[in-house]
Amino acid sequence: MLSYIGRRLLIAIPTLIIVSIFVFSLQKILPGDPVLAMAGEDRNPETLEYLREKYRLNDPVIHQYFYWIGGALQGDLGISLRTNQPVTQLIAAKLPVTIQLAIMSMIFAFAIGIPMGILSAVKKGTVLDYVANIVALSGLSIPNFWLGIMLILLVSVNLGWLPASGYEPFFRDPIRSLETMIMPAFVLGTALAATLMRHTRSAMLGVLQADYVRTARAKGLSEKAVILKHTFRNAVLPIVTLSALLFGELLAGAVLTEQIFTIPGFGKLIVDAVFNRDYAVVQGVVLCTAIGFILMNLVADVLYVLLNPRMRQAL
Amino acid sequence: MQADTSPDASIGAPAEPVLAVEDLTIRFHGQSIDMIDGVDFSIEKGKTLCLVGESGCGKSVTSLAAMGLLSRKAATIRKGAVRFKGRELLALSTREMEKLRGGDMAMIFQEPMTSLNPVFTVGEQVAEAVRRHRRCSRSEARERALEMFRRVRIPAPEKRLDDYPHQLSGGMRQRVMIAMALANDPALLIADEPTTALDVTIQAQILDLMRELQEETGAALLLITHDLGVVGEIADDVAVMYAGRVIEKGTVQAVFSDPQHPYTLGLMGSMPSLSGGRGRLMTIAGSVPPPALMPAGCRFATRCPFADDHCRTHRPETTVTADGHGFACFKAPLEMLVGGEAA
Repeated sequence: MLSYIGRRLLIAIPTLIIVSIFVFSLQKILPGDPVLAMAGEDRNPETLEYLREKYRLNDPVIHQYFYWIGGALQGDLGISLRTNQPVTQLIAAKLPVTIQLAIMSMIFAFAIGIPMGILSAVKKGTVLDYVANIVALSGLSIPNFWLGIMLILLVSVNLGWLPASGYEPFFRDPIRSLETMIMPAFVLGTALAATLMRHTRSAMLGVLQADYVRTARAKGLSEKAVILKHTFRNAVLPIVTLSALLFGELLAGAVLTEQIFTIPGFGKLIVDAVFNRDYAVVQGVVLCTAIGFILMNLVADVLYVLLNPRMRQAL
Repeated sequence: MQADTSPDASIGAPAEPVLAVEDLTIRFHGQSIDMIDGVDFSIEKGKTLCLVGESGCGKSVTSLAAMGLLSRKAATIRKGAVRFKGRELLALSTREMEKLRGGDMAMIFQEPMTSLNPVFTVGEQVAEAVRRHRRCSRSEARERALEMFRRVRIPAPEKRLDDYPHQLSGGMRQRVMIAMALANDPALLIADEPTTALDVTIQAQILDLMRELQEETGAALLLITHDLGVVGEIADDVAVMYAGRVIEKGTVQAVFSDPQHPYTLGLMGSMPSLSGGRGRLMTIAGSVPPPALMPAGCRFATRCPFADDHCRTHRPETTVTADGHGFACFKAPLEMLVGGEAA
């Protein structure tokens, strides 16, 4: 098992190198000159030249890349062009916010999507199945921002139950933190729940046809044991892989959701950075996100192997 | 030997059969005819009944219905009775049926490769069946699973308990299925083509094993097969099915030595030598008609060389001779007919 994880980590290295090259190229591909953005009104050629020298923008591109990646490997992602803070520091401040949002959204997604998927598979063709499918389709079709705004209108403005925006670190005031986070997490979670529900349903329907499910019934097991133990335990395998992919969708969704609920997280950080041509921050955030995504997929792959004895033997 | 209601059919006082299927009629949703049409047969303690017929004739559906495993979404049992030790199963609640299944009546299936759950060890799966029907601890259930592994002669049983299905061969997996089915000493074992998916040498081993275990336990065995060789080897009685009906049944000797229904004859690929050396008269031409084209009378009429208009429009009832040999054919006994045709 450990050697499997080791091998998977080794495979992740080339992926990360490719991602880093892509991320680095962003600043070369994107329109706009960061030096001009920094210099502001002062278009004096000397100032511009000074800034170019300072940020090594006159060096060959290859050198610039190695300078950047060398720093990144040591935990130095450069300095924000706008705030002059180290990018690592900025990320460290925003990361917990987005992680909390991601975890809470995932909880919503699983708590809604999986039971609904199981139920609609077991009750296939009944009213319950149709209702679940309509709900899922709505979840997929309703844009996050619209749902977010409607929820703010209803829950915060009209009912006054929850704050419309803001953020409180979880460890400083857990209750307040949950209050501010629950609506954005719900908004973000519902879209994922819909995808999860659809996939759980089809995975369950496939497994329900399996011979071993008939064997489970022939043993005299209760329908509950047949569904939850013998069927779901097999249907969960594709869902594990899917969840890692959904994590990417989650991060993308977080950008928008954080804007709507003005949560100072990763999404807001990257949007602000892009608008300000703050390349160091954009690069750092994208690199971090890519690492997070690769790690989630690694976790999913390991889980998949743990849950699937056929894979375990192949290691 | 059989449970026909005809007064002249019983020999002495028949013991109560372990399983009696009477006039079982099943229709699949969306079809215009009954897929299973008035199926009758019964099995006594310690006896083996083979249900024979080609694919799609309803053997498996009949057995699944007996086990209560037929999906209600797919089919409806329109009439008939399935009596297990005198108890009407079709009237039982889901709960009561669950108690019987895997306990007093058990089933093994055709595909050992896919009939075991890939994510649990085979030991767990057998122990699960034990725990479902007996009050016992996990370790006692495991003990029982081990004992059953020994009885079905799985080599190195202690090690195999913790194996996953994919680590075992098809023959071993079928042994596991048999161990699971017999773990709770069932009075009835239904085996749906248990050897079809296996190599020929393994087939013989599994059949021998089943026969041996049956002798040990005294369980009744309902064996579903399309292999007449298997029937000759293992069965006491045989019931031949065609297109959802039992068209001939009786002891193996009676049916094999003196088949009365043209379909049975065709199945055996030969005719009685009474025809006077004109060689083989028939194989079964054509195929089973689709439900929409099924004749209203004898369902074999479309393929039967002897069928006339009466056959096509009237349903032949089962005639039972004194020795319990039953057949549903207007033309029986065929000897006369064959002789007549030859002349």
